[in-house]
Amino acid sequence: MGFLPEMDDALNTETLSRLKRNFGLAPRVYRAQLLRPDLVDAQVNLLDRLLFTKGALSRLQKEFILLAVSAENNNSYFPALHCQTLQFLGVKPEQSQQVTIDHREANLPESDVVLLDFARKLATEPQAFTVLDVESLRKSSFTDEQILEAVLMVGLTQLLNCIQMGLGTESDFKPRVTFPLKEMNPNAASERQILEPELTGDFVSDDPDLEIVERVRNGETDAFEELVRKHGRRVYRSLVGILGSAEEAEDALQDAFLKAFQHLPNFEARSRFSTWLVRIAINTGLQRLRSRKEVDSLDEENEEFRPRNIQAWTDTPEEFYSREELRRLVEKEVMKLPLKYRVALVLRDLEELSTEEAAAALGLSIPGLKARILRGRLMLRESMVPYFSKAGVSKS
Amino acid sequence: MISCQDFIGELGNLLDDDVASEIREQLQAHLAHCNTCQVLYDSTRKTLRIVTESGSFEYPEPIAEPLVSKVMDRIRAGGELGHNDAPES
Repeated sequence: MGFLPEMDDALNTETLSRLKRNFGLAPRVYRAQLLRPDLVDAQVNLLDRLLFTKGALSRLQKEFILLAVSAENNNSYFPALHCQTLQFLGVKPEQSQQVTIDHREANLPESDVVLLDFARKLATEPQAFTVLDVESLRKSSFTDEQILEAVLMVGLTQLLNCIQMGLGTESDFKPRVTFPLKEMNPNAASERQILEPELTGDFVSDDPDLEIVERVRNGETDAFEELVRKHGRRVYRSLVGILGSAEEAEDALQDAFLKAFQHLPNFEARSRFSTWLVRIAINTGLQRLRSRKEVDSLDEENEEFRPRNIQAWTDTPEEFYSREELRRLVEKEVMKLPLKYRVALVLRDLEELSTEEAAAALGLSIPGLKARILRGRLMLRESMVPYFSKAGVSKS
Repeated sequence: MISCQDFIGELGNLLDDDVASEIREQLQAHLAHCNTCQVLYDSTRKTLRIVTESGSFEYPEPIAEPLVSKVMDRIRAGGELGHNDAPES
C-alpha cells in the first residue's frame, strides 16, 4: 500500500477508459490521488495531449524521455509501467530496459541519443542548462516545436515521478530494473560520487581573483583593469574560437568584459571568477553568431563519427611546415569543426583549461565534455591526415 | 581483451594521461596487436601536439593594451553594450 488510500470508484468513467485504453489498466499512481478526482482528470488530459497523442515528436521518442528521466530520478515505478505499455507499441522490454539503464547502448538513431542526452541533462543539471544544449538538438535537425515538447516531457516526467514518490505508490508490475542502479552499473554510480565533490568543492575557496572582485564590488572600478589584463587572452581565445574572426573577437571581448562588470553583483563565487567570465564570453560569442544567423549552418553533421582515414603519420610531422603554416592550418581546420566540438577543443587544448574548468564554463558534465573533446580531436585528426601522413608528406 | 571500440572510448583519457595503471596496461596490450588503433593513437597524439604548440588564435600582443583601455573607457563611461544582451548568470 502507498501512503494514501487508493480508490477506483471516484474515477470519472471517461478518465478511467482513457487510462485503460493507454495502459490496459488504471495505474495505482492515479488511483492514489482520488481524493481529488478533478486533478487526476487534469493529469490524464495532459498525458493525453502531450504523451499519448503524436505531436512533433513521435510517441516513442516521448516515452523514451519518460524512461530516461525516471531513471535519472531513481524512479522504478514509471519505467515498470511504461515498459509494459511500450510492449503494446511493439517495443521489446529489453530495449526499453536498455534505454532506462543507458540509452547510448540501446541501438537508437544518433539523433534520439542526442535527444535523451538533452532530457537527462535537463532533469539532473537544470542549473547548468544553456543555449548550447538547445543548439545540440537543433543541430540534430530537431525543430523548435520538437524541442518544446522534449522540455515539456521532461517536466511531465518530473511531476509524475514526484507524485509517485510522494505518495509511496507501489508498482503495478514487477520492475525489470530497480533504482538506484548501484549494483547493476557500479562504474556510473562510483563515477558520479567521485565527480560531484570535485565540481562543488574545489573552486570556491581558492579563487585568486576573489580579492580583486571584492574591491571592484566595493566601488573600486579601476581594479577591474587588472582582471581585464589578466584574463583578456583567455576571453579572446574563447571568442575567436567561436567567431572565427579576430576583428569580431575584439569587439565581443569588450562586450563580454562590460557584461561581466555590470553583472559582477550577481557573481556568487560558486565557480571561479575566470570560469564565470569564460561562460559570459561564450554566451556573448553565441549571441553574435545568432545575430549573424550562422548557428544553424555551422553544423550539418549529425552522423555518428568514426575515424575513417587510417594512414600512418610521419614521425615528425611538424618538420614539413613552417610555424606560421602550422598555425594557419590549425586555425583553418579548427574553424571547420562543428561549433560544440570546436568550443570544447579551444578551451581544453588551446586555452588549456582543466577538464573541470572547461566543463563548468560550458555547463557540461565531465563525461559530456570529454566526449565532445574526443570527438573534436578525432575530427581534427581526420582533417589533417592529408598533410601529415607519410603518403601526404611525400606529395607535398 | 578490450575491443577497438573500448580503446577509442578511453583514447581521450589516454591522451590526457588520465587512466589508472591497470587500464593503461590493457590499452597498451591492445595497441601491441592492433595496427589500426596504433595509427589512430599515434596520429591523434601528434594532432594534439601540433594544436597545442601552434599558437593558434593567440591574443596578438599589440592589441592587448589598447583593448584593455577600450574596455576600461567604456566601463568608466557607464558604457552601453554593443548588443542588446540579456543578463547572464
